[in-house]
Amino acid sequence: MTTTLLTEQSIKLPSSSHPYADVIHRLEAGGSMLPDTPENLMQIIGLYKAYAVPMDFYWRDLLYIAEQVFLEPLPAFKYFLPQEYLDLPNHYAGDEADLRFWRGQETAHPELLEFMEKGELKTKLPKIFHHLYHDRINMEFAEECMRAMLWHRGLGGELEPFMDSEEYRQNCDRAIRAFFKNNPVMLGLYKLFPEMFLEQCRQSTMTSVLGLFWEIMAPVFFEMSDIYDEGGFKGVPDAMDFLANGIFAIAGRPIYHRVKVGGEWLDIVPKSKGFTWLYEAAFPYVEAVFYRTSPFRGTKSYNAQAHEIPTDQNDFHYGILYADKFPVGSAGIPPTLLHQDMYHFLPQYLVDYYKQFCRGEDDTLIQLAVSFQRSMFNVTSAVIQAGRAAFLYPLDDPNPQHLLANRHYFEGQLNRFCNPKYGMDKASRLDMVQDQNYR
Amino acid sequence: MTTIVDIAVNNEGFSTLVTAVTVASLVEALQSPGPFTVFAPTDAAFAKLPAGTITTLVQNVPQLSRILTYHVVAGRYKKADLIGVKSLTTLEGSVIDLNISEQGFEANNATVIAADIEADNGVVHVIDTVMLMRPHWFYPIMESGKVLH
Repeated sequence: MTTTLLTEQSIKLPSSSHPYADVIHRLEAGGSMLPDTPENLMQIIGLYKAYAVPMDFYWRDLLYIAEQVFLEPLPAFKYFLPQEYLDLPNHYAGDEADLRFWRGQETAHPELLEFMEKGELKTKLPKIFHHLYHDRINMEFAEECMRAMLWHRGLGGELEPFMDSEEYRQNCDRAIRAFFKNNPVMLGLYKLFPEMFLEQCRQSTMTSVLGLFWEIMAPVFFEMSDIYDEGGFKGVPDAMDFLANGIFAIAGRPIYHRVKVGGEWLDIVPKSKGFTWLYEAAFPYVEAVFYRTSPFRGTKSYNAQAHEIPTDQNDFHYGILYADKFPVGSAGIPPTLLHQDMYHFLPQYLVDYYKQFCRGEDDTLIQLAVSFQRSMFNVTSAVIQAGRAAFLYPLDDPNPQHLLANRHYFEGQLNRFCNPKYGMDKASRLDMVQDQNYR
Repeated sequence: MTTIVDIAVNNEGFSTLVTAVTVASLVEALQSPGPFTVFAPTDAAFAKLPAGTITTLVQNVPQLSRILTYHVVAGRYKKADLIGVKSLTTLEGSVIDLNISEQGFEANNATVIAADIEADNGVVHVIDTVMLMRPHWFYPIMESGKVLH
């Protein structure tokens, strides 16, 4: 289902009258929302690589938190990833992979290990000092993404209804009782406030979901970086196709949650439920993180009378695709803490590139944030094209009715960037990423 | 008795489907009295999926089973029974959108290339594309896209 660039598309349908008609025509020709320029390709691939290294930490630590920290009342050391999880083989890298996306190793990435040892200080200190100095991978960003997925419920898939089912409640009950079997205080609190504990289990489940989601994205991004370094991508659409095909290939990966208590694994969301990476993780992730999240305090009034924040969560539009990349220092949107993480792993060609513009090195964090925004528009394009291929028709379909359905789909997707409600159209960065001078 | 499984096994072009149904342990279910309506993708339909898609599904039986049961509906529905019917709920739980007109017989984005193949325990419609569940956001997006600018 590779989307091949088409040149005769416009012959079959009249031109679109959509405000983003140029982008619609580009999508119909197999392109991305991001213009196909060598500069864009370099920026997005460079950022994929810079993102993949901290992401290799995020997915490992998310699984550690979901599986072993679980309901620990004072999880002060949850970011201190044990060796067991650094060595945890990625299912999609290495010789033993279920499906090999990256030709590299299945254990933690060497650049990550080096950074964990010496940090930005480039000095080997006990882990606690790096942590207290905040010279570490910022898991706050990963947890913010998890919370966005938890909070924006109703994103589709079968997992959410399952988390409200009696079966889930019983699975959690078994895990909670096992986890606190030597802690009468916590068991007493559980008896008093069972719903609070259940909600904590739901948060833990979503932590596992995000970890399993990113376990795949990290090797995909590493492989894309390697292909680019070898001169393998001719343009932005090639990079988008690689992602779109990857989404299909991995769509059926199981999504589950299990907890290790006293050396025994307890299922909270068993693999046998049939939950999949595409429906229960990827689609909810894109919706919650790329589109919605939540407004950064200080930029929007939370006063209900001010009507600045939509009453309907479906209208939330504070994700990366709408973000003003001002470095506010937040874990949410704009995700400055993620940008800080990526800053440590930029490929040299991007470091050199950023030096040429704006305020050079001093401005790198903002410039890379804008490149990251471009790269996420490309990932969103891959999701849109994969959705078109999965639910609709090929771009070169000979049936005009099918092409019209494809157009309705593309226009419906881009309508999300030109809705005047709550100023969504003005917040959207789709028009800005069309311009190479936005940096 | 000729079952739905017998039809798939005894006709060319369904070897991927037969393998998938066997791996997912659905053979016995599809040999039961039913009746069922099965939208059966051909080998060519499976071949249109990007590399790795089937590998991942075959490695994960519950997930494979979910995709396969999306192609099965309880009851015997021939094409003539479905005229004017907008959708059918599958055994997976999600719906398949139907479009039957003079131009043809479509289920979601798949075209039925051979309809009404009868078995003793149901009916088979052969389709040219593997169907994937349309998520809940798909419908409002399509409606939004139909509004003229």
